[in-house]
Amino acid sequence: MSKFTDITLDPGIVRRAAHGDVRAHEIIYRAFSAPVYSICLRFTRVPAQAEDLLQDTFVEVMRSIDTFRGEAQLGTWIRQVAVSKALMFLRSAWYRRGQSLDDEWDDVTPGRNDGHGVSASPDEALDLDAALASLPPVSRAVVWLHDVEGFTHKEIAGMLGKSESFSKSQLSRAYQRLRPMLEAETERNADDRALDNRVAGHC
Amino acid sequence: MNSDESEKEDGMTSGIGVMERELLQQRLRALPDTPPPRDVWRRITEQAHAEGLLRQRPRWGGARWLAGAGLAAAVTLSVLQLPWFDAQPLTDGPFPTEPAVMESTTTRSLDALMVQSQWLERHLRALPEERGVMRASTAATISELQDRVAAIDYTLNDPGADLTVAQQETFWRERVRLMNSLMQVRYAHARRTSF
Repeated sequence: MSKFTDITLDPGIVRRAAHGDVRAHEIIYRAFSAPVYSICLRFTRVPAQAEDLLQDTFVEVMRSIDTFRGEAQLGTWIRQVAVSKALMFLRSAWYRRGQSLDDEWDDVTPGRNDGHGVSASPDEALDLDAALASLPPVSRAVVWLHDVEGFTHKEIAGMLGKSESFSKSQLSRAYQRLRPMLEAETERNADDRALDNRVAGHC
Repeated sequence: MNSDESEKEDGMTSGIGVMERELLQQRLRALPDTPPPRDVWRRITEQAHAEGLLRQRPRWGGARWLAGAGLAAAVTLSVLQLPWFDAQPLTDGPFPTEPAVMESTTTRSLDALMVQSQWLERHLRALPEERGVMRASTAATISELQDRVAAIDYTLNDPGADLTVAQQETFWRERVRLMNSLMQVRYAHARRTSF
């Protein structure tokens, strides 16, 4: 499901990394840097912030890899480190600038065209990245953690220091925001299928 | 991890249909990963060395000056070759597609190649941005060199490749050679655009 769990490394590399072997750490970095950077970039949308989070994640991996016992997959463990760092950043006062997590939706009104919103044109409506960008950062993170990484609402709530219902409501509101794009695409897929059937009928 | 019941509940509260939801999840999972900029690894190792998280290899102590001498020689060669690069069409290939097989193989020489490669990366980054009008052939050469470096990186980082030290050295040596070429092309272009 998650890209992190698709990557497997030789346990010997982890053992070498636990002894501070720089080359082993480089192999781990090369294997996991893209998924880590991507998740940080999806959460923050700012490359410089994602780079800093990537750096923090792998320095933390270097600090703590000797505590990794191999009970879970290495990718799952690295993902946990990355997600913790990214969520901590999203929750930081510096990032939120005093905004409460609950009222983040207030400044993201539907239909407002700030260059990041879901566009009405069909082509742009299909742009999932733009649709995701229209969500508040925490909602975007909840969507990603729940729908892509497979975390439960309880787990997400624990990581965010919020209640389960907070996680559920963030997801629900995100779905509402993404719904027009999804409906447009579902209709388009249905039209394509109908066209395919008509073409097949003529052949 | 997510239960069906929870999924149903999420869908019901947002009014999103099962098809839309599946489509969304499918498309989210299909989004491609973005590779990070190259210099992040350097920043990580610098911080890790500063915090004492990485082991210093004992053999490095004695060999460091040798590696330094090797790098100095490489720099001298690069500089000596630059006028030739100015006179010749820089952008003409073809470049070898297969890395040359090296005779001797030690982890020490592998380390030296990795350091040399990092050194070249640093100096490449220090070159001015690719400003001004660039000839299409120059751009193509740079792109091709970068693609080859990326292909080597992919092989070196592929856990399934199971490379021997000798094979790793071959790839790292080829990487250094390509990076050297890239630096010369970029340097020549930077010189042209500075006048």
